[in-house]
Amino acid sequence: MSQPQVRDDAPLPAERNAVAQVMAMLYRDKFALVAAFVLLVIVLCALVGPELVGDIAAKQNLRGRNAPPFSFSQGWSFILGADALGRPILPRIIVAARNTMLIAGASVAFAMFVGASLGLIAGYTSKITSQIIMRLADVIMSFPSLLLAVIVLYMLESSIFNLVLVLAITRIPIYLRTTRAEVLEIRERMFVQAARVMGASDKRIVLRHILPVVLPTLVTIATLDFAYIMLAESSLSFLGIGIQPPEVTWGLMVAQGRPYLANAWWLALFPGLAIVITTMSLTLLSGWMRTALDPVQRWRLEAGSKANG
Amino acid sequence: MRYLTTCLLGTALAAAVFTPALGQEKNVTIVLSEELDVVEPCMASRSNIGRVVLQNISETLTELDTGGGGLKPRLAASWEAIDGDTWRFKLQPGVKFTDGSEFDAEDVVYSLNRTISDKITCEIGAKYFGGMKLTTNVVDATTLEITSEPPQPILPLLMSTLTIVPTGTDPNAFVKTPIGTGPYIFSEWNAGQNIILTRNDNYWGKKPEVEKANYIFRTDMAVAAAMVAAGEADIVPSIAVQDATNPKTDFSYPNSETFFMRIDAQVAPLNDRRIREALNLAIDRAAFKGTILSKDVIEATQIVPPSTIGWNGDLKVWPFDLAKAKALVAEAKAAGVPVDKEIKIIGRTNNFPNGTEALEAMLAMLKETGLNVSLTMYEVKEWEDFYSQPYAEDRPAQLIQVQHDNAKGDPVFTAYFKYHTKGLQSVLKDPKVDNLIETATGAIGDERAKLWKEMFRVVYEDIIADIPMFHMVGYTRVSERLNFTPTIAANSELQLSQISFK
Amino acid sequence: MMSFIGNRSLASAVSLIGLIILVFFLSRMTGDPTSLYLPLDASLESRENFRRLHGLNDPLLVQFGRYVLDLLRFDFGDSVRKARPALDVVLAAFPWTLMLAAIAMLLVTVSAIVIGSLAAFKVGGFFDRLSSILSLIGASAPDFWIAIVAIFFFSVSLGWLPTSGTGTVWHWILPISVLFIRPFGLILQVVRGSMIAALSSAYVKTARAKGVKDRAIIFVHALRNAMLPVITVIGDQAAGMLNGAVVVETIFGFPGVGKLMIDSILQRDFSVVLASIMITATAIFVMNLLIDLAYAALDPRIRM
Repeated sequence: MSQPQVRDDAPLPAERNAVAQVMAMLYRDKFALVAAFVLLVIVLCALVGPELVGDIAAKQNLRGRNAPPFSFSQGWSFILGADALGRPILPRIIVAARNTMLIAGASVAFAMFVGASLGLIAGYTSKITSQIIMRLADVIMSFPSLLLAVIVLYMLESSIFNLVLVLAITRIPIYLRTTRAEVLEIRERMFVQAARVMGASDKRIVLRHILPVVLPTLVTIATLDFAYIMLAESSLSFLGIGIQPPEVTWGLMVAQGRPYLANAWWLALFPGLAIVITTMSLTLLSGWMRTALDPVQRWRLEAGSKANG
Repeated sequence: MRYLTTCLLGTALAAAVFTPALGQEKNVTIVLSEELDVVEPCMASRSNIGRVVLQNISETLTELDTGGGGLKPRLAASWEAIDGDTWRFKLQPGVKFTDGSEFDAEDVVYSLNRTISDKITCEIGAKYFGGMKLTTNVVDATTLEITSEPPQPILPLLMSTLTIVPTGTDPNAFVKTPIGTGPYIFSEWNAGQNIILTRNDNYWGKKPEVEKANYIFRTDMAVAAAMVAAGEADIVPSIAVQDATNPKTDFSYPNSETFFMRIDAQVAPLNDRRIREALNLAIDRAAFKGTILSKDVIEATQIVPPSTIGWNGDLKVWPFDLAKAKALVAEAKAAGVPVDKEIKIIGRTNNFPNGTEALEAMLAMLKETGLNVSLTMYEVKEWEDFYSQPYAEDRPAQLIQVQHDNAKGDPVFTAYFKYHTKGLQSVLKDPKVDNLIETATGAIGDERAKLWKEMFRVVYEDIIADIPMFHMVGYTRVSERLNFTPTIAANSELQLSQISFK
Repeated sequence: MMSFIGNRSLASAVSLIGLIILVFFLSRMTGDPTSLYLPLDASLESRENFRRLHGLNDPLLVQFGRYVLDLLRFDFGDSVRKARPALDVVLAAFPWTLMLAAIAMLLVTVSAIVIGSLAAFKVGGFFDRLSSILSLIGASAPDFWIAIVAIFFFSVSLGWLPTSGTGTVWHWILPISVLFIRPFGLILQVVRGSMIAALSSAYVKTARAKGVKDRAIIFVHALRNAMLPVITVIGDQAAGMLNGAVVVETIFGFPGVGKLMIDSILQRDFSVVLASIMITATAIFVMNLLIDLAYAALDPRIRM
């Protein structure tokens, strides 16, 4: 039997630069590509929407209220119809993107950061600290979010920050408990034992070894939490916390469309669709990122590979 | 548990169960918007409780004729004023409560004392019988004299609110099964699910057609309306204007509510009359009709409906004049009024259908004048804190959304609270208004009407205390197999005896 | 294990007490129910009388002391609104929510695990994409929208199901379906994610190399190790449902605890709020204990 000759000094094929690699992997997953594009559009809306179409979106026209969609008779802005005060829905959705992304993004980020941190601590440190943190999480889980909102409103003033605070606090337990559950399992694995034997500090083990394994699950939860918060935020606005008219978010538009479901379904449908599309895009993109960042899974996105090896 | 047995039974009868044979029996199913917390007759002034209890189970001595004919007899056959502060009531003979006991003057005395007693908190006592001392004199079983101090010229009207319970009804707690003289008996109450009333075959008056009434509870008006459309229910007393799409089943009725904005006349810049006038001129009231609100709402100049005694028909609705409003603001600004100071509109969530939209529309209109107006919606308790005394010393300038109900035909139930210096929801401190209110309260006949009219004129033209918007209209959906026309009292009662079958 | 349960019960009891104190004092800072119970034009005497009858004039600590003493006799106070003992009010409402939540979560658990696992088995395939997209739509769509559209479609137009109410088995189909959709979407994604990771691990490769059948690989080998985050999320969603299947209860007219809680908070009916929180908190604490025990059962390496 003859072995093929592999020479040690044979040049390796040149590596493509990082950006090109990412684009190639994105291209492999068409769904993620579309998702990335959609998210780009939404971010653009959030960045420049209010400045560009803010005036059009705010103009009321009581006699033209609940105008049905899919007709160009009043111009492009009314393609998705008009709301209960005659304002065109499409520009309103564009303008609302900023508030929505800001509030939902801040809430989810805050909850994930605090929840994951506490979860890492609870999963890795001593019994007592862990017990205290977990019982605290139980208490937060049992505290109704509406009560928290009413109390915050009474004790502090009504502001966006307080809205984000209330929303974030109620979501902390899920990140906390999921993180802890994964940490409990991961810290018994071989590579963690190995790192410990090699003398790595606790902090290094947790941040460098355990956290990257937990992160994908947290991101999965976070992307769906995004949708939940977008909708939950509107019910708090009815109490006087957070976004008040004429400011608007998608969640608020959906809630305002509720009394009209039977005869003007477009009021709640299109902003709801915006929420659904954003959520789907975030989920698809995060799924792609999970595959791309995981060395074990990356082969699915690399050129020349077939599904399931 | 009960519902498990029902579940099993229902599975067996699955096919037929949810298409009930409503047409066969003389039963009606009524959908109310909220579950009843209690079924106590002395709480019947509360909307949903009144819809079940008032005049169906518990009756009153007199009854307001919603067609404009004044007071009708009910349990009292006739009444007359004996002297300045005493009224004599002759009661209907031969009336029995549903527990078999006879109805007589002692029961009226007992009901009255119970309603104002301090052992329980009765809404009827709190709302209508506060601030007066009543003494009763039982002349005989069917004759009763009531003396009030101070004298109450409208005592018979007040008696139209007092539900009569049998002597001996628990004086320390609310009853779970109300007993009355009315045409219906309280049969069943499944907490959270339904209440059933069955016809009282020993009723002293005319026998009604409806044999059994089943009250169920659905918060979502669209779902309630859909239940009638699907044949699962017969009457929904209150639906939103946009759900009232079927002219064969949907009827509008003036519902004795008036929507207005209270101007906080003590805080700058609202303490300047020019600004208050500008606010009124800047609203295009006509734009609301047939769009956000029903086309049948009536532009208001006062906060009591036109059918009320003392409603001043000479007052003109504010015209829509944006140019003049802007000029007034400029004029005030030149005179040093701080027109840039923030004016907050305080809204109340779920006040009435499309209420938030109405406020948003008003916000846009008021902003056109150049004033610095903002809007914040609040839940009931917070709104109530803003609306009722005591007010915060350093409060911002506020316009508060209010929907006020007065179906009793006399401004006395409104004026003191809303306009007197000591009124709980008043921001006015005007001695002329106080004087008018006090003298009108004690006056009778034409003099009374004249004084009330003058009071409304002063409040509307001289002071401009509010931004009156509309006398509101409600919508009811009634199944096609019934004959039922809602009246202005439909907010507070639903007399089953007024329902007939086609 | 018994000492574990014992320790946990003690710790949970402590947190329950902490919760009671927290809720009691914080909620009373939001005003009292007098002006909500009585109409706007109620006389001052009647307001004073109401406050006196319900002990609202006493200093907060006195009220708290009275509350604790009553609590020791299992008396949660009376509902100010409903003139009935608060415990009765909550216990009448709780079974409805419990039934809805239990049935919905059972269906969610079974279907999400099965479908999520199958989707992860062939990542990127047609089944995976389809199930993901459909479940995501359900998970991010507003629940009242789904509920009302379902009512109009299945009840009013087609007449197959009743619109609302609680009478028969048929009345439960729509509410449970609506409750099912959001947790299903979330848990499907979590299962899928965990299973993808588990299916590419070394032991699965070994099992495949040994010739173990696909079905066994998924459901015996991979699933057990993927379940930890899954049951955590299931527990969280179940807790969320107990606290608030509000929209479903409101639209379909189920007199459950979600709607009761919201109404009581807005009406400042504190005894009902506290009683309700305590019952749901106890249920949540017990559930979390069971989940912790499940961790240990699923993965013998875990020590807590």
